Amino acid sequence: MSVRRALRGGSVLAALAASALLLFLAVPTLTLVAKGGAGGVRGLFSDAELLGAIALTFLTATASTFIAALLGTPLAYWLARSAFRGRSLVQAVLDIPLLIPHPVAGIALLVILARGSPLGAALLALGIRVVGSPISIVIAMLFVSAPIYVSAAREAIADVDPRYEGVARTLGDSFRDSVHRVTLPMAWRGLLAGAVTAWARAASEFGAIVILAWQPRVASVLAYDRFTTYGLRAALPAAAALVLLAFVPLVALRALGARRGAAAVAAR
Amino acid sequence: MIELRDVTVRQGAFTLDGATLAVERGEYGVVLGAAGAGKTTLLEAVAGLRGVARGAVLLDGGDVTALPPEERRVGMVYQQSLLFPHLDVRRNVAYGARGRSIDDAVERTGIGALLGRDVRTLSGGESQLVALARAMASDPRVLLLDEPFAALDPPRRAAMRRMMRAWQRERGLTVLHVTHDVNEAALLADTLAVLDAGQVLQSGPAPELFARPGTGRVAELVGAENVIAGVASVESDGMIALRAGRLTVHAAAERVEGPAHAVIGADEIVLSRDAPASSARNSFPARVVAVGASGSLMRVELEVEGLPLVAVVTRGAARELGLTPGAPTHASFKATAVRIC
Repeated sequence: MSVRRALRGGSVLAALAASALLLFLAVPTLTLVAKGGAGGVRGLFSDAELLGAIALTFLTATASTFIAALLGTPLAYWLARSAFRGRSLVQAVLDIPLLIPHPVAGIALLVILARGSPLGAALLALGIRVVGSPISIVIAMLFVSAPIYVSAAREAIADVDPRYEGVARTLGDSFRDSVHRVTLPMAWRGLLAGAVTAWARAASEFGAIVILAWQPRVASVLAYDRFTTYGLRAALPAAAALVLLAFVPLVALRALGARRGAAAVAAR
Repeated sequence: MIELRDVTVRQGAFTLDGATLAVERGEYGVVLGAAGAGKTTLLEAVAGLRGVARGAVLLDGGDVTALPPEERRVGMVYQQSLLFPHLDVRRNVAYGARGRSIDDAVERTGIGALLGRDVRTLSGGESQLVALARAMASDPRVLLLDEPFAALDPPRRAAMRRMMRAWQRERGLTVLHVTHDVNEAALLADTLAVLDAGQVLQSGPAPELFARPGTGRVAELVGAENVIAGVASVESDGMIALRAGRLTVHAAAERVEGPAHAVIGADEIVLSRDAPASSARNSFPARVVAVGASGSLMRVELEVEGLPLVAVVTRGAARELGLTPGAPTHASFKATAVRIC
């Protein structure tokens, strides 16, 4: 009896703790939307600078996600399927961008991309200006979001039994065909979820971007600029618009999860 | 024809060590072994899905050791079916057909009604039929089966075996089938290989191997009920005597001396109330330990001079002899029924 009472008491405590955390996470963003949401939505139609910043954010985040998927999927496959010496070292290198403060990531990128650096100078000689251009924004976004994609893709690929590839190969597929026709289609939900998460991470990046490109301004930099230049009230519509836009990948991820759940139920 | 010559595959801590066996063209070969013996590794080495550290794999006389799986023309069916879940049944079957007709494979396996189905909605038996049709539709020169019927219920397993064997004979297909099930091996195998802890202990024509296992371990693995370890010596009359504790078994066998095993079929042991006056050279007082049904017969576990023996008798004989646990009886068998290995 006392055990049951203790369990019931524990459940109440857990529910209270969970509610407190949920409120802590929800209240600031909901308040921001409540205060600046209407202005944010209006701004999406009338504020050319905000609209431009959001379009730039969308395009650069999409570009960085595309590059992450293109380069990250083979790497994820390699990490998922191979057991090799130094695997944990490669994993650690991949995790570095997730662990260091993002302005530090921006500084690290600036060191190798600034016009005084060998790479920056070489690119400049070819007429490619990196720092202060959309290219640097894509690079900063890629640096912070690619590890998220690779990690998700590695797990998605590892979840596919390698024997499926083996069967495909006995049915006449080359290694490459077996990956394209079997492994990737079987892992696609996980790969897409990784891409959406990486896109969201890229779109919300500020610290690394602000070091490399104050101009042109992505949405996060614009919100910060308006806050520091004009104060809290002026920053609210841009900030609220960003919160509203953040729901797009969130909803996409949930829909993906729901479809996966439905498919699993149908398969039973 | 499938031939393995001294094939060694290293896979983590496990090693398939110098496997050698041959299955002639158009034969049904079975590899029998317990879980962890290396059966799947052996099949995957034939398919080209595992790298061979030493030795050679030959298909129809050609060395394919260095060929990738897609160039070996082998069909592989695993116990878990491994149907591609993003493709329906029809597209699974047609996966390796590359434009060839899938009608024969579909008709033979009887999966015509399933073609439009999502593979995730199939039962275990249906999945195995589709996996088999998929492998066969790719027109393989050899078919590799990894415990393909193990997850099925007994009636469906029996039906699948019959279908597989008939199809194999009709097409003259060379099959290598691995299993841990002795009955399955006995029902299917033309050629049998016994695999234990990564080593092929013995291989050859199945009837020969069942009748004359080369070692006590092989005898155990091929399902011999009575394998007695002891020391063999040649008697003055040329017979072999195998001494195991207080028990001495007489055998009309080839000359063997030293540590050996006596193998006696459970159906070779005759039970009687008293010591029979017969030609049987081996006759011992025994005690019934347990009695259980074995199909239409009764399986009687005995203790003979401190050693366990198993006999098989009819239900009527068990009743007439009063074979109940603890009852005394007498076990006899002829010296010619004993195989020394």
